[in-house]
Amino acid sequence: MNETRADMEADPEVAPEVLKARFGRDIARDFDLDDPMFNDRFDEVLTFMVNKCPISFSKVGTGYHLVNTNEQVRRVAQDWRTFSSAKGYMPNRPEGLPYLMPEESDPPMHTNWRHKLNPHMSPKVIATYEDVIRQDCNVLIDTFIEKGECEFISEFGALLPGWAFFKNVLGVPIDDLAMLVEGVEQGTFALPAEERPSHMARVFTYLDTHLKWRATQPKRGDVIDTILEGVIYDDGTEAPWDHKVSILVDLTFGGIATTTFVMSSAIHYLAMHPEVRQQLIDDPSLIENAVEEFSRVFPPVIALGRTCTRDVEVAGTEMKEGDFVMLTWGAASRDPRAMEEPEKIDIKRETILHSTFGVGPHRCIGSNLARLELTTTIEEWLRRIPEFSLREGTAPVYVTGFLRSMRELQLVWPK
Amino acid sequence: MRVKIDGEHCTGHGRCAKYAPNVFILDDDGYNADRGNEIDVPAGEEENAKRGMKSCPERAITLVAE
Repeated sequence: MNETRADMEADPEVAPEVLKARFGRDIARDFDLDDPMFNDRFDEVLTFMVNKCPISFSKVGTGYHLVNTNEQVRRVAQDWRTFSSAKGYMPNRPEGLPYLMPEESDPPMHTNWRHKLNPHMSPKVIATYEDVIRQDCNVLIDTFIEKGECEFISEFGALLPGWAFFKNVLGVPIDDLAMLVEGVEQGTFALPAEERPSHMARVFTYLDTHLKWRATQPKRGDVIDTILEGVIYDDGTEAPWDHKVSILVDLTFGGIATTTFVMSSAIHYLAMHPEVRQQLIDDPSLIENAVEEFSRVFPPVIALGRTCTRDVEVAGTEMKEGDFVMLTWGAASRDPRAMEEPEKIDIKRETILHSTFGVGPHRCIGSNLARLELTTTIEEWLRRIPEFSLREGTAPVYVTGFLRSMRELQLVWPK
Repeated sequence: MRVKIDGEHCTGHGRCAKYAPNVFILDDDGYNADRGNEIDVPAGEEENAKRGMKSCPERAITLVAE
């Protein structure tokens, strides 16, 4: 294991020509999140990075650092004064992409909004959505259970999180979900990256219209009303309208673009591991712990970025003011310095330390909702479809950038 | 056993209260209600408290006294 840049440079396994022979590129000094090789060899690359490259570098665009260990990711994520979110979380951010509040802001502005929004996403409030989510799991399962087969993503995984979020949190019609999912997906993964802003623009326009309409309606006391009510920033000014819209975009983005991946990966894992499935069927109280372990090893958000506000050293690497730094949550969650046998998936793991929901003040605001959706899905799926497997001759289809997503998962079960 | 909950680093992951609900209480925002303070762990709850501490992604809970 290497702890610093110097260790890494001295390690023959991390020599440029060795990496080029093994990975097709020098992933320590010339990494690319959008490289199809990363998509195909995801686990292998993350494990290599966390073990061998406490810090790596990308030459894509203006270039960025990647911080890969549990301890250093935590340090950078918590130190928001040195590592600012105000210039965005995306490396080489395309022109014309509006910043998302509160995710792409720093305290105190960020704190003002989080204080207002957090109560809507607390464990206590989220728990009141459980019955609706459980019912929706069954509504979806009813649509395909008799067929003995389904394409999990389009028939369940991409729908349930959207339904849960739209019905319980946003109160917008689920008929519009497909358009928004498409906008968010294309806005994240479309290549060339210059096309992404136009896809995101559709999402902004839709939610801007919705917010304007809600401003004319009687108050419901929900998160939309809280957003409309707004906050006063520390300089005494009121949060402008475009900040309110971007908050709604940010929440929607998180609500529909991420949980699907953990859910699909968990179901895929259970399709491939009948013995684990049986453990969960025999003792459903293990499901919550399994969800935590699945969240650790199947991260939908691989890495998010910060911008250095001053010159600073991380793991023996000098970073300059203005440098962009990605926090590789996905690598930090499999750090052997912080846990035993991180490469092993163990649903009975006693302590599950991970950074899938981020670390620091920007911790995923929907983490409690995501956990409930995942737990409820596995409970209901195993109750209704205890025996299932991957359709022979198929394999899940993935796409990876700074997010990871599953596009196709073919399942079959006895009718 | 006595532990301290860091006032700035607790960001509401809620892992502490999941594993040690009799030790760590969440406020209405879902953050540790005792953040910024030290608390005594009730006798018999030490193992749960340790599990909650170790699961905190922020390492926001530290041991003050065994």
